[in-house]
Parts: sequence; C-alpha cells; structure tokens
Amino acid sequence: MSVPTTGRTTPELTAWLSDRIALYLKRRPTEIDPAVPLAEYGFDSVAALSLCGDIEEDFDLILEPTVAWDYPNVRALAAHLAESLESEAAG
Amino acid sequence: MTSFRTFTELVLDRAAELGTEDAFIFLPDDANGSVPEHLSYAGLDQDARRIASWLQAHGVAGGQVLLLYPSGTDFIKAFTGCLYAGAVAVPAPLPTEQGQHFTRVSGILRDAEVRAVLTDSTNAPEISAWLASEGMTDVLCLATDGADYGDPGAYTVPDLSPEHLAFLQYTSGSTSDPKGVMVSHRNLLANEAAIQHAAGTDSNTRFSGWLPFYHDMGLIGHVLHPLYIGGSAVLLSPVSFLRRPHRWLKTFGDYGATIGGGPNFAYDLCVRRVTDEQIAELDLSTWGAAANGAEPVRAETVRAFTERFAEAGFRPESFFPCYGMAETTLLVSGTPLGRRPAQRTVDPVALEQGTFGDPQDDGPRRTLVGSGVIHDFTVKIVDPDTRQERPEGSVGEIWVKGDSVASGYWKRPLTNTEIFDAHITDGRGREDAGGWLRTGDLGALEDGELYVTGRLKELIIFAGRNLYPQDVERAVQSTDKALGVGSGAVFTVETDREHVVVVQEVRVSAVGTDLRSVATGVQRMLGQELNMPAGNVILVRPGTVRKTTSGKIQRTLMRKLFLQGALTPLYEVLEPAVRGTVADATGSSLAQAGV
Repeated sequence: MSVPTTGRTTPELTAWLSDRIALYLKRRPTEIDPAVPLAEYGFDSVAALSLCGDIEEDFDLILEPTVAWDYPNVRALAAHLAESLESEAAG
Repeated sequence: MTSFRTFTELVLDRAAELGTEDAFIFLPDDANGSVPEHLSYAGLDQDARRIASWLQAHGVAGGQVLLLYPSGTDFIKAFTGCLYAGAVAVPAPLPTEQGQHFTRVSGILRDAEVRAVLTDSTNAPEISAWLASEGMTDVLCLATDGADYGDPGAYTVPDLSPEHLAFLQYTSGSTSDPKGVMVSHRNLLANEAAIQHAAGTDSNTRFSGWLPFYHDMGLIGHVLHPLYIGGSAVLLSPVSFLRRPHRWLKTFGDYGATIGGGPNFAYDLCVRRVTDEQIAELDLSTWGAAANGAEPVRAETVRAFTERFAEAGFRPESFFPCYGMAETTLLVSGTPLGRRPAQRTVDPVALEQGTFGDPQDDGPRRTLVGSGVIHDFTVKIVDPDTRQERPEGSVGEIWVKGDSVASGYWKRPLTNTEIFDAHITDGRGREDAGGWLRTGDLGALEDGELYVTGRLKELIIFAGRNLYPQDVERAVQSTDKALGVGSGAVFTVETDREHVVVVQEVRVSAVGTDLRSVATGVQRMLGQELNMPAGNVILVRPGTVRKTTSGKIQRTLMRKLFLQGALTPLYEVLEPAVRGTVADATGSSLAQAGV
C-alpha cells in the first residue's frame, strides 16, 4: 500500500511508531513487539496524548487519544495510521 | 500586601488599580493558529461581579459552590466570583473530561454540602442530569459563559473576616472518602506572602503554566499568585501541554514569562519530546524560577533538563525545587533565587535507617535534591512513633506550623485533632502546646535545607497526583471476576523514576481466557482510566497477599517481599528497569546478611 502524499509505507509507519512509543516508555525500539498490546509495556493516557501530539506534528493528522486503545498494538496502529493518511490524501 | 484582611478585598483592589492590564492570557488547545484569549483585570472584575451577584440573589453566597470547568478563563472568573460573593469555592476535576469520572465528584458533592454548581454551557446539560440522578434537585446549576444572568450592578461587597473560608481543596482522601482542606482567607494571604518571599515575585512577574486549576499548585501558584502580586499569567490546558510540551516552553520566549512549573514528569516529558529543531526556536532566558514540587525532586530530572535546555538559555540556578501541600495551602519551602538546587549524596543503607551518611567509596549512593529553605513556617523533623524531635541530619516525619497551615479537613474533627494538632514530646514524656501539622512525608533538615526523602503513609504520589492504593486496587479487581476483591497490593518502587507495581491474587479456575490477557486487562484499565503507567503486574496464588489480623493490606511488607524476590508469580510482566531493582535488592540483602 502506498501513500502518495507522505511516501510512508506501513513498514515505515511501524518503525516510526516503535521509535516514538519506545521513547515515551523509556525502552529501546527493538523491545517493542508490534503484536504485543501497548498496555503490557505500561502505556498510559499521557503516552497516548504524546503519540497524538507527535502524529499531528509529523503527519499533520489530528487523532483522538482513544486511538491508542482502539488499536492496541503497533501493528494495528500502523495499519490505522496508513489508512487515515490515505483517506486524508484522497479527501 | 499585608493591609488586606481577605483575598476578596485584595482582588477588588487589584481590579480597580490595574483595569485594562492583562491578568491572564489563555492559549486554547487548537493546533492550527489558535487565537490567545486575553482577560484583563477589569474584564475579570466585571464577570466576577455578575457571577457573585447571581450567587447573592439566589441565596447561596454563604455556602459551598462546586466549580466544574475545563481549563480556561471561565474557571478563573467563577472562582473570583465566589471570592467576591463570599462563597466557599470547591474546585474539582470536570467529570466529563477524558479519564475523569463522576464517582469522585459525587463524593465531593455530598461531603462539601454543595449549594450550587458553576460550569460552562457545553457541560451544563450533563452536569444537570448528574445532579438529578444523584437526587440533588435543590442544588442549583449555572453555566457562567452565558449572557442572560446576574446583574453586576446589583453586587454588594460582603463583610468577611480573615477566618472566613476562601475554598475547600479536595486533593486528599480516597475516592470513597474525599477530604477537603479548609483554606481560609488568612491562610491564603499568608501563603501567597510565603510564595512571594520564596520566589521573589513582584508586579512584573509573569507566570506560565498548564497545571489543572483544581490542583493546589495550579490554583494557588499559577492563578491566584498572579492576582496577589498584580502580575499576569499565560496559561494552557494540561492536555495541550501533554500533546505538545514545547508549546509550554515556547510561551517563555513569546510572552517573557518568568516563573512556572510542575512535577518531575513535566520536565522529563520536555526532555524526551521536545526536538532539536524546536529547541532552536526556544528562548528560556527569562525563566527565573522553574518550580518543581508535588513530589520529591529528582536529581536526574534536574540534570537532564538543565543540560538539554542550556542552549535555549535555561540556567542551572533557575530550577526552583520547593515543597508544600494542600494542607499548608501550598508552599512550605523553596530554593533561594539565584542559587542552584542543593544536592546531597548519601549512603542509601544509612538513609533507610534514618540518617544522612556519606557514601562509602565504592558503595551504593543516592543523590537527594533539596527542597529549599523555610521562611514563613516552623518545621521540625519528628520521630512518628515516639513524637520526639529528631536531630539535624536525621530522617523523620516533617511537622509544620505557620499561618498558612489550614485549620483542618471539612467536617473531620477526629482526623483534624490527629493530623492538624499534633504534639511534640520531650525526652521526659512532656508534650508541647501542639498545633503541629503532620505531613505524612519523611525528610531531614541539614544546614537549613529541607530534604524530602519519602512517604510515611502508603499514599502514592505519581506525576504530582495523590493516588490512594485502595482506589487503584479496587480498579484492578474490577477488571476480571477471577481477581479477588481485597486481595491485591499496589505500591511503588524507585529506579531513576517511580514505577507502580501491582501484586494481585488470581483464582486460576475462574480465568476465562489466559493469565496474560487478565494482566493486560489490568494494565489497560490503569493506563487508560487511571492515567498511570502499569508496566508491572504480578499475578499470584490466593493467600499470597499479606494482611493484618484486622484485614488491612500490608503493602509495605508486600513491597519488601517483591524486592527480595520472595513472591512466586503465576504470571508476571515487569519493566526491565524494575526487574533490575529486584535483582539488585536480592544482591544487597545477601551482602548485608554477610553471604
């Protein structure tokens, strides 16, 4: 799946998310397994707001912090982010 | 400043004197070119008169008035309106906001015997429905951002004494048992004076902050202190700060702000999230007092922030570690201006035994950051058991006396005798005149500097919030029927930061899925609903969590067993840093035992 406006592929978004989330949780990006629920790493609502702030900053996309609970791991989040960016570009 | 008998007189005077000058500049939470909202002293005065006159006309000016607002100028107007009317303001978190619930405010509503609720038009329908569902049909509800209520011209200045209550501060007590600190006009004026002495503020001082207004540091520090000195404040909402921390830092350069702060985690968040490009645009050179309080100040936080933001003009002597709590209105001690925070490196083993000792050459060490010096209070370090004063450099409970110390919690005479009127005993069993506040914090005095070292009680202070373990345990146990009620222990352990650890009994036969899913459910509940990172959950067999004979959970003992590695988990998930602590504790306890 390609996202023309940003040039971000799902694997790239996965790497970006792992990187950001590791930063909030004070872990190494390699420790974040894309299939493991973020809650298991101690993800909380401050981290959720941080993530939304960074997504807004880097992708100019406004998401509600509940997104991190609706799509509870990196894999699901990356797919959702790719989809949102695509529909944003299309719209 | 001391010529005012009440805070109401003071604000009326400031408004008359300062007129069109900015009192507050609020930056709305809007990513794309939000327009700052300016509230002048005259504007604040006009709306406060209108609100006060409505309270007076409805016969509730003598009672308690609950304030439920999002962050913004409407809260400030309503709080000032209560001051003008002589009503007792009761600020509380807005239950309709993310992560907040009606349970806590329902407890406050009843405990405070609220006569009216002030809110905004967005939240009024839901709040009216909540009042009806609570059977509180005689409690009035007003949306103060509307135009068609109250006549500013009909307002009359009340005759208040310094002992009259200005507000009730509900930051203490668990959800099921909330306690409101009774802050009188005398207490408030005394503490604002103490803050001025400690932080050297004057009418040129400009605050910048994002703390919630129902929090003592947000309210007394960032909202009421600007009014006290006739200065101003630039404010943003907590959510706005958490989404984009650099927005807060940017206000210092944009508006020439000079003072403002928050707990450790706010500074940690800035270090982690503000990018190099953002730092290049910051100017923090006007920031003279970066307040850090609400929990023991961390050396690592001070070091990392100072280092990271030096290139933006932040100076090491600008950090302003301080100590205080709602029970003392706010501030007790603060770091002298222009002086770097005091640091004391001690032997952690000696510290645990209650004394400051220099670390051995290659032994373990812990660096404590001082919370500054004391001006307007008398502070003693007291042995909590014998109630005798402890000598210089010894750890004990921090006891405080002074004009800012509240008279107690609303309607809690028994607790108040114990907490707000404690007596120090001398070596021969004779008691002094009493009147000491027991803070529940542990600390030591050395060379006039106060060091806060920990908590006597099991209260968890996390990211500046007071959390009661029983509330957290109840939330844990609500996530799955396999988790027994009253059979869990929640406590914190320290590495370079604080971590929450949940030890919870589970009946394996009642688990519908698998233990990992049960643990993740707990972590999700705490992370999303209680806003606390829950990276450490240990599920154990029934009978593991120790209780006293009267059924009280022994959290301190459970913490010790956890650190010793003495718990046998059925399932556990631990943060790597916490896992390291467990291994270390095992090592050092073996070493102590001479193995």
